[in-house]
Amino acid sequence: MSPSVLICDDSNMARKQVLRSLPQEWKDSVQIACNGAEALTILRDNSIEILFLDLTMPGIDGIGVLQGIQKLNLDCSVFVISADIQPEMQSKVKALGAKEFMRKPVQSDALLNNLQQHGLI
Amino acid sequence: MNEFHLTEDQQDCLQELINIAMGQASDQLARYLDTFVYLKVPSIESVEASELMITLSQRKNTIAVVSQGFFGYEGIRGESLLIYQEEDSGRIADLLGYEPDELSQDEQLIDISSILTTTFLNVFAQQIDNQLSYNAPKLLPNVQEILSEHLQQMPFTWNLALKVNINYQVTDYSFNCNMIILIPETAITNIKYVLDRVLEEF
Repeated sequence: MSPSVLICDDSNMARKQVLRSLPQEWKDSVQIACNGAEALTILRDNSIEILFLDLTMPGIDGIGVLQGIQKLNLDCSVFVISADIQPEMQSKVKALGAKEFMRKPVQSDALLNNLQQHGLI
Repeated sequence: MNEFHLTEDQQDCLQELINIAMGQASDQLARYLDTFVYLKVPSIESVEASELMITLSQRKNTIAVVSQGFFGYEGIRGESLLIYQEEDSGRIADLLGYEPDELSQDEQLIDISSILTTTFLNVFAQQIDNQLSYNAPKLLPNVQEILSEHLQQMPFTWNLALKVNINYQVTDYSFNCNMIILIPETAITNIKYVLDRVLEEF
C-alpha cells in the first residue's frame, strides 16, 4: 500500500523534480499543490501521510503551512525542500515539526535516504 | 517577455534556477552580515536595450551602480548592474555595522555587490553546466552621463537586459536593490537552449 503524498511548490519544474525522485509505486497516489493555501485545503480534507514542502512561495509560504499543520494537529511527515538554505531557516522548520530539510535542486538519493531514515520506505 | 519569447515552461524553469541562485546569494549575505535574511520570491522581467537607459535616467534617487562583467563558455557573457537607491544607503551602513571611518560607503557597496553578484551568477552558471570568470567590480557614481557612457562602452553588444528585482529584509532593516543583467543575443539563445535541455530531463 503506497502512502498518500502531497507535493507543494509554486514551480512546476520543482514539483516534477520531487515526483521523479519518488519510488515508482508511489506515483499514482501523489497530489500536488501550487501554493500554501492549496496545500492547507488538501491537508485538511485528506489524510496526507507525507508532505514535500517548498518555503518561498507567494501568499501562504512554507512556514505558514507548517504552522497550519500544527494548528490543525495533523499527523503528517513533512520534508522541506527549499532554496533558502540559511542555517537559521533550517532550524526554524525543524522546530516547527519538519522531519528533514533538503536543499534545492533536490537530489533523488538524498530524498530516498531521508525517507528511509524515517522508516517510510 | 518581448524578444526573450519564453514559453511557460521555460519561464518556470528560469524562475526556479534564479530562485536557487538567489537563495544561495542570500545565504552568503546572511553569513557576511551575521544575521538572518528574509527571502521573497524575486520577480524577473526583461527590458529592451532602448528602454533601459530611459528607465535608469528616470530614477532620480539612484545613488550608486556597481557594475561587474562576467564571461563563461559557449558565448555566455554579460554585465551585471546592482542599483541602489538613496534611502537604502544609510541602512546598508547600519547593517554592516562599520565604524564611519573604517570603510567608506563606496567600499561597503562594492563588498555587498560582489557577494550578491558572484554567488548569484556562480550558482546560476553551475546549474546550466557553465563556469564564469569575473572582471573587478566598478562603482559608478550617480552621474547620468557616466552611466550612459558606461552602458555604451560595453565590450559586447547587448540586446536584452534581464531585470531581477531583489528585496532583502534583515530583521529590523530592509533594503531593496535591483540586479540588472545585460546579456548579448548569443547568450540569450544559449540560455534558451539550456532551459530546453533542463526541461527535457523531465
